[in-house]
Amino acid sequence: MSAQRPLTVLIAALGGEGGGVLADWIVQSALAEDYPVQATSVPGVAQRTGATTYYIEIFPEKRVTLDGRRPVLALLPTPGDVDVMLASELLEAGRAAFNGFVTPDRTLLIASTHRVLAVAEKTAMGDGRYDAATLLDTAQARAAEHVLLDFNALAQEAGAPLNAVLLGALAATNRLPIAAETFRAAIRAEGKAVDANLAGFEAGVAAIRAPDRQGAAASVAGAGPSQAADFDAAARPIIELGVTRLLDYQSPAYAQLYLDRLQRVREAERQAGGDGSLLRETARQLAVRMAFDDVIRVAQMKIEPERLERVRNEVRAKDGDPLVVIDYFKPGIEEICSLLPAALARPILRYSEKRGWLGKVYLGLHVRSNSVSGFLRLRLLAGLRRFRPYSHRYAQEQALIGEWLDAIERACPIDLAMAREIVDLARLIKGYGDTHARSTGSFHRIMQAICLPALRGHMRPAVAADALANARVAALADAEGKRLDEVLGSVADAVTLPAKAAE
Amino acid sequence: MQSLLLGDGEVFRGEGILAVTKALLQSGVAYVGGYQGAPVSHLVDVLVDAEEMLDDLGIHLETCANEASAAALLAASINYPVRGAVTWKSIVGTNVASDALSNLASAGVTGGALIVVGEDYGEGASVIQERSHAFAVKSSVWLLDPRPDLPTIVRMTEKAFELSEASNTPVMMELRIRACHVQGEFVARDNVPPTHSRRHLLDGPAPQNYDRISHPPSTFKQEKNKFEVRLPAARRFIVDNALNEFFDGENRNVGIILQGGLYNAVLRAMARVGLADAFGKSRVPLMVLNVAHPLVPEQITGFCAGKDAVLLIEEGQPEFIELAVNTILRKADLPTRIVGKDALPMAGEYTAEVIADGLLKFVERHAPELDVAGAARHLAELREARAGAQKTLGELPQRPPNFCTGCPERPVFTAIKLVQREIGPTHIATDIGCHSFATFPPFSLGNSILGYGMSLASAAGVGPMMEKRPIAVMGDGGFWHNGLVSGVSSALFNRSDGVLVILQNGYTSATGAQYLPNSKGNRKDADSTSDIESTLRAMGVKWLRKIDTYALPKMMATLRDAMTTADKGLKVIIGDGECQLARQRRIRPQIAARLKRGERVVRTRFGVDERTCTGDHACIRLSACPSLTLQPNPDPLKSDPVAHVNNDCVGCGLCGEVAHAAVLCPSFYRAEIVQNPRWHDRLLAALRQRTIRLLQPKARQPVAVAAE
Repeated sequence: MSAQRPLTVLIAALGGEGGGVLADWIVQSALAEDYPVQATSVPGVAQRTGATTYYIEIFPEKRVTLDGRRPVLALLPTPGDVDVMLASELLEAGRAAFNGFVTPDRTLLIASTHRVLAVAEKTAMGDGRYDAATLLDTAQARAAEHVLLDFNALAQEAGAPLNAVLLGALAATNRLPIAAETFRAAIRAEGKAVDANLAGFEAGVAAIRAPDRQGAAASVAGAGPSQAADFDAAARPIIELGVTRLLDYQSPAYAQLYLDRLQRVREAERQAGGDGSLLRETARQLAVRMAFDDVIRVAQMKIEPERLERVRNEVRAKDGDPLVVIDYFKPGIEEICSLLPAALARPILRYSEKRGWLGKVYLGLHVRSNSVSGFLRLRLLAGLRRFRPYSHRYAQEQALIGEWLDAIERACPIDLAMAREIVDLARLIKGYGDTHARSTGSFHRIMQAICLPALRGHMRPAVAADALANARVAALADAEGKRLDEVLGSVADAVTLPAKAAE
Repeated sequence: MQSLLLGDGEVFRGEGILAVTKALLQSGVAYVGGYQGAPVSHLVDVLVDAEEMLDDLGIHLETCANEASAAALLAASINYPVRGAVTWKSIVGTNVASDALSNLASAGVTGGALIVVGEDYGEGASVIQERSHAFAVKSSVWLLDPRPDLPTIVRMTEKAFELSEASNTPVMMELRIRACHVQGEFVARDNVPPTHSRRHLLDGPAPQNYDRISHPPSTFKQEKNKFEVRLPAARRFIVDNALNEFFDGENRNVGIILQGGLYNAVLRAMARVGLADAFGKSRVPLMVLNVAHPLVPEQITGFCAGKDAVLLIEEGQPEFIELAVNTILRKADLPTRIVGKDALPMAGEYTAEVIADGLLKFVERHAPELDVAGAARHLAELREARAGAQKTLGELPQRPPNFCTGCPERPVFTAIKLVQREIGPTHIATDIGCHSFATFPPFSLGNSILGYGMSLASAAGVGPMMEKRPIAVMGDGGFWHNGLVSGVSSALFNRSDGVLVILQNGYTSATGAQYLPNSKGNRKDADSTSDIESTLRAMGVKWLRKIDTYALPKMMATLRDAMTTADKGLKVIIGDGECQLARQRRIRPQIAARLKRGERVVRTRFGVDERTCTGDHACIRLSACPSLTLQPNPDPLKSDPVAHVNNDCVGCGLCGEVAHAAVLCPSFYRAEIVQNPRWHDRLLAALRQRTIRLLQPKARQPVAVAAE
């Protein structure tokens, strides 16, 4: 029996990325070199943005030497049996490892380290992205050899499709018995977008041959949070950002209010023996909370001088091509009332609620933000900034911020971990309209159900810190608040327990 | 395409399904037809693309309205000596075809009749997991399951017609998903023009022969004929033409019987455990069933005689072949033990890994002299290492298929989701087509799928028991395939009170954008054939609205109205929006040409203002457009990633509509970029820029806080 076995190449790609074309280039190249080759795939509906694979087997003996004998080539990859794993994206590289197609005894893994997020990662209310470092570590650990680079960035630099760059990388590794020139010929023979594909191919070749490629891969893991020894030093950059933000948002006096508020937390943490991390995180959240997103704020951001340039870059408008930006606004009664003084806003809101208008009556606007009239309207709105301190929303926000800071301050002497969880709770508050109402509602419920009992001593601090963290995650689990209901329901038991124990 | 014209001795290179097409031409086929569906959509596409070539040979091509029409097409071979071939996706297509198929099989054929079914089973399959084998057995249709190797597939296609004619029985050939897409080569032969065709007409209608009609009393005779005449003839042909293959091996006390389609996977598994080499040389004798039905008892007993045990490798359930082989051995009084589903899993795809496990079990029990301990250890180690990686990685995010960027169907589901928020949840009967992707997150809409075009019919029993009207969703493909009669006609006839949403994108798009009766144009001319709206009115639908799917508020208002109106009866909403894939394919070259000519072109796309986005992602939960994704928050004070529209955006406008309709946030903007601007465009832009610069507030410099 012959001991020779086929070389196997598995390509993992997303629908529409040209994985099929990549497979075809490899097949045509193998044929040109006179190797028996077979490729197959599972397109079907996977081509609609789903994950898909292409599988190629090349028998590494030229057909002229085989005397008409034909190897039996498989149609499916087998775990532990893959020589080259090409992944067009990092999660797909991880999936290949998960499925056993990357093994330390034989697999060369060539994968792009960029991420194309899956729907489940994108729909999370907070940060649902799968940890890229885990993917990278596992891919590296499982492969015999690996080339992990941001091939997508290379493709964009070269103005070429990703699949051509991956082909270049494959060619440069010399893992298949196929000359680079043969691959180039296959690209030419295919005849579509030849110049762009060849440019991509060369970019892939160059990336592998560059001596510092490993450095680029390492940078993907990202830097962790910096640990500063000095109590204030860790917080200072954040505080500076906060002050800049609030000067821009409102006024020097408002920025001073920010600093005064932080001073209280700073003292409380210092006395409780903290390391300054509570101050840093409070500085972060407080700046965001004080620069709450009202209509004025949105208008301010829409007329920032650098915005138009940012949009031009993002939509890839060529220099000199005129660009019109149309913004979508839909303020409701609450948003409009939030600008009015409380004395005026409250009766209007009460009346609107009675008539069932809230959440139903909106003013839909399409504003051409870089036309003169559109810009003027936004400019006028942004100019209302000086009246902001007299507005209904301002009063509401300041009261809420006050309660939150009080809770932090009171928690410090009890338990710093619990205080920190109260700080983090502010991350829940975000959005506009319904989203804002929902997130503020969740924040309130958690404050009432956990913070207040804990501060009154009805709950053990460690239990409270844990419950706060759970509740925060639960609040982000679903928009309907089902998970939060469950968590708060179970917390209610924890509140009554110590009281019973004391009896 | 040119490869279909290859002649004697030339080497054909291409996909399995294209090889089948070439084999049809080499077989003198007179008429072909089919209904698209993965994995055989491409066969229909190739036939359509090759229509001119078919015409030269006089071959008639019928793109059928559904699989039942395709099966009925084969009736031409009942009375006339003409060869015909049709194709469809199985199991579902065979289900739809089965009435015509039973009648065809009962009458039997004069000319060769071949059905090429794409066996949509295992990884990548999009339908219920059942075997076409059952239909072959119950209707007495012969079933070929060729080795997935182009020369074998081509030979079996050609032999299928001969077998069909030799036994007066239609023949079915099943090709698994990967076999349809496998790239390989074979030595071609000249195409054979059919003796009777559009170019060489038949002499006239056949004289009536009542025996050829599937009607009593012929049907009783036909049933007997199946096993008294046709079956023995088929078995003779199978043996004489060596359709099943035998490969010898030195360990003759055991053997393996396998379905032809599994040959490559089995050989790979055997190579993995040291029982075969890369060229198919095996240590154990093999019997390869390129004909899965009927079995030839003499071949089975001949192979099993003298063997202690035989491993039977048969994918899927029930285990038809295993049961039949056991019966054959029992009747022949052979003591050979058949090991089948006791060593291999009952359900699921037989990959080389799965088969290797079965082989190890079989060898350990029945052929311990074949030392596989080393291989077993190696496989166990691999499995352990993989389990380790899986533990580290935990649950990876899945990537089910999703609506394409700019898909016209997405906004309809956004509308349904938003309307449900107002009026509460409703029962949603889903259908087959791209729109079934709405059953996946983030829409997660749909309570049942009952088949292609069956959604409305499947809501008929639910509606009367619900306070709220059920919503049935159907594509235009499903509408013409079956929904028109099974759904609409039945609902009208029964005075049903319900809502039907028809997604009219102009093509059967999930299968590759084939023409439909309502497509603008068809494969022959630029006219559309039928119009859904007028068809429905003619059938008696009173409440009918046609809405542009991207007009989200209008769609929401219409849905609300349909759900709450006092009008009883069927309410139909036609969501109109051309398949974006097809549209992009159509307009991209046009736009490129206009740009090249220097004409003014306005490009529209959407974007998210990263500064105002708060990272809640409610917009994504109402859309999941592939081009709407996330990027790290540019604000160092915030950590949650913000929404981001990438450069795949086609400017469909849903983002803005959603932000408006759901009152999400002011982050979405529409950008209109004027390419090849005229002088007035430039002037206006310059004036605006200058004026705005004057009005702009000054940017503030970052501050530094002094250390206390």
